[in-house]
Amino acid sequence: MNFLNYIVRRILLLVVVLVGVTLIIFVLLTLFSPEQRASTFIRDIKQLSDLDSIIKTYGLDRPVYVQYFMWLRQILNGNFGWSTTVSRPVLDAFKFFLPHTIELALFAAPLIILAGIWLGSLSAVHRDKPVDHFTRFLAIIGWSLPTFWFGLILLMVFYGYFKGLFPPEILSYQAQSFVDSAEFIRYTRMNTIDALLNGELWIFVDAVRHLVLPVITLAVIQIALIMRIMRSSMLEAMGKGYILTALAKGAAPKTVIRRHARRNALIPVITVSGWLFAQLMAGVVITETIFNRKGLGWWWARAATQLDIPAVLMAVLFNGLLFVITNLIVDILYAYIDPRVRLG
Amino acid sequence: MGKKVFMVCFCMMFLIISASTLFAKGKKEEAPPPVETEKKEEMKKEEVPPKKMVKNPDTMIYARYGTVQSLDPHRAYDTSSGEAVMNMYDTLIAFDGPATDRFVPMIAEKVPSIDNGLIRDGGRTYVFPIKRGIKFHNGAELTPADVEYSFERALITDQDGGPIWMFYEPLLGVAGSRDGDGNLVVSIDDITQAVEVEGQSVVFHLNDPYPPFLGILAQYWSGILNKEYMITNGAWDGKKQGWERFNNPDQGAEALYDKVMGTGPYKLVKWEPGVEISLIRFDGYFMGPAPIKNVVIKIVEEWTTRKLMFTAGDADMVQVDTMYWPEMDMLEGVTIYRDLPRIENTAVFFNFDINPEANQAIWSVKLDGQGVPSDFFSDINVRKAFAYCFDHDTFVKDAWLGFATTPNSPVPKGLPYRDDTVPIYEYNLDKAREHFKKAWGGKVWENGFKLSILYNTGNEHREIACQMIEENVESLNPKFQIEIMNVDWGNYLNMMVQKKCPLFIIGWVMDFPDPHNFVHPYMHSQGTFAEWQSYNNPEVDGLVRDGIKSVDKGKRQDIYYKLERTYYQDVPGFMISQSVYRVFVREWITGYYWNPARDQMMHFYMFKKGY
Repeated sequence: MNFLNYIVRRILLLVVVLVGVTLIIFVLLTLFSPEQRASTFIRDIKQLSDLDSIIKTYGLDRPVYVQYFMWLRQILNGNFGWSTTVSRPVLDAFKFFLPHTIELALFAAPLIILAGIWLGSLSAVHRDKPVDHFTRFLAIIGWSLPTFWFGLILLMVFYGYFKGLFPPEILSYQAQSFVDSAEFIRYTRMNTIDALLNGELWIFVDAVRHLVLPVITLAVIQIALIMRIMRSSMLEAMGKGYILTALAKGAAPKTVIRRHARRNALIPVITVSGWLFAQLMAGVVITETIFNRKGLGWWWARAATQLDIPAVLMAVLFNGLLFVITNLIVDILYAYIDPRVRLG
Repeated sequence: MGKKVFMVCFCMMFLIISASTLFAKGKKEEAPPPVETEKKEEMKKEEVPPKKMVKNPDTMIYARYGTVQSLDPHRAYDTSSGEAVMNMYDTLIAFDGPATDRFVPMIAEKVPSIDNGLIRDGGRTYVFPIKRGIKFHNGAELTPADVEYSFERALITDQDGGPIWMFYEPLLGVAGSRDGDGNLVVSIDDITQAVEVEGQSVVFHLNDPYPPFLGILAQYWSGILNKEYMITNGAWDGKKQGWERFNNPDQGAEALYDKVMGTGPYKLVKWEPGVEISLIRFDGYFMGPAPIKNVVIKIVEEWTTRKLMFTAGDADMVQVDTMYWPEMDMLEGVTIYRDLPRIENTAVFFNFDINPEANQAIWSVKLDGQGVPSDFFSDINVRKAFAYCFDHDTFVKDAWLGFATTPNSPVPKGLPYRDDTVPIYEYNLDKAREHFKKAWGGKVWENGFKLSILYNTGNEHREIACQMIEENVESLNPKFQIEIMNVDWGNYLNMMVQKKCPLFIIGWVMDFPDPHNFVHPYMHSQGTFAEWQSYNNPEVDGLVRDGIKSVDKGKRQDIYYKLERTYYQDVPGFMISQSVYRVFVREWITGYYWNPARDQMMHFYMFKKGY
């Protein structure tokens, strides 16, 4: 019952959070004049004579609270507005870009989390030994690499120098043509999963080839974070009395590390992993841009710079939802891993 | 245990990567790799050279940037949208190859002229006999009723941000279907009487003679629609009653936003806004099927990625910004079409009546050394002094890397009635000093001034122009102070519309090949730029009106020559650049020719792929 109460409370909190952040966005809108907002519809100065008409059509000159309630009413009717950045309804754009982002996150997140935990444990167990120095060195290098630079270098080497080994984009032309044909059924719009469900291994391989470089780009940079947290958490756990007791009682060191130290050290890593996954799901702007994988991050970054308010509001709603749900899952996982933690 | 799991994961990754490589090789056998051109010389004469192969031989892939806004010909008004539309629709007439002053018939049987009797009533009536047997993509035959419907629907829709204003001036003598408050100013009778069917012909009744009318009809916004398909898909039903509800639909609500039913050489396969658009050849095209079966236009915003796709042969054509042209010269296997003259120009415009309301750009709003009054630029000496301060050669060299010229008048090179003898204000600081000393009875020189000039963030050309003005003007007198501000595009437009910019820099790209398309926005008191400047010369307004209504070529020449010279004398602004363009294709793509009216839009029907 406590557990259910907890979830219901968190969901109610979610509504408050979403209303709060969208209100903030609307208040920030007052910083922009109606003309400025209407000008996002204008691509050419020759269209400027339509500025007044655009302002009236979209009610941009009405008080902010009126605009907010208009927007809320639209949302409740399932209309999230029009994204000028990608020239399509916001909801359509969201449905289109989301699978690309999820697919990248599904490949990148497990790799980052598992490799980060493994390297962090390895580093802590071999503290101050060459393995530790080496992994820490790698972590510093990885964390210091600017994403745009590292991504471009990978692209130049593995696409430019090695003649198209790991190409940018989402699929090759041949694979895309097949995926678009009637022979291929789109279940999830995630090419790897759909390819397996259709039994088309070559499409799966093609999609994975296109995922390799963006996943490596993300992994090399993000692994460092998980690794560093895991290492320090592991070191702290290994210094605890119960570990020393277990070892003194003759338990095998591997068993102690695996069953006692690592499990307890995982708690802060879970928090960060949840945050990392949510971050990946919200889109990774630079990686998506460099590898021309059009996902949520790519779309929302452009929306923000081009004052595409409906798209920005969608981003706020989605990210709010995502982070609240992620925190909820992390809290539940806490309770599972650490029996001392009680929800509610 | 954990270690084993990780090892399994890494092994799986390794296997996937290895398998990818192997499969990639397998696939590449089906789609041959790009050709190594340097081997050509090594071939012995007696050997039969193997046929060169290209990737995706029946497909042309164009990597560019710029999102298609709409596929509706009556809404599309940007390069990306226009490009997509022009490949799927046909017009009554088209430009004759690279020419902008000669036309060839397309859907019409003949190009109307006074000589063939199809232009009548002193240029007020245009008759277009319509060809028979032309098919739409759905197999329906095109009829004169489709042509009539297309133009009437254009006038009825007249969507915000669209190109239909170009039909309104010649056909109905007004700027559009609505006034500034959104009220309709035309009736359905006005619209239906403007375009009528007479037998197998379609007749246009113009409000006044309008010499560039054919140039407007030769562009994609004049594409012919399928009336039945349109009505079925929720467009105007062809009836007079209730036509108002089809006027100015919301963005994306236009009937052809994501649908196409034209007669053009390509059909729509897929459009993913912001991502790509795919077209497939229309085999029933009345001019014969296009040489290339498939066309894919991919939006790739990152330059390095675009370039790598081009060099890897995954893109056959690539859009390249001017700053990257020198590095493209070093690539092998690339055909570059150089120095393609664009019909556009960019100018510095002076504001004669700066709006002082909450305007920080003019500081104290007085000529006290700490600001400028609203009418600062109404003194011709100030305008001339600023014009003499602009170093045109350095600007073209620094901002355009030499890939531009300095136009001498609002009428760009490439248009008729352009007077090459009109002088420009050459860079001359002595003359600038002289005029500053005369300005406002000597007060400018004595008190100095302070003002802010703006450019939109990210526009390097405008930034450099602002810096040059700042440096050169300030070098004349320590009391002259110019601040440069960068603002976002929306703010920049807003400042211009509200007449708050003391001076502004902006360009105009040709819509139709006639000087009227430039002298009206630059010089007429109700023209786009002149209005923002509050530039008002009644004689000029009269000349602009006379110029567009006259069908006498000699008279038009006199009028436009006079207007161009007046622009020099009045100095409401001065031109700073007319750019050139380059087209980059892989060597296996042939057939391209430049037409300035199409500007950067590609008509894929002209291309061939292969050796």
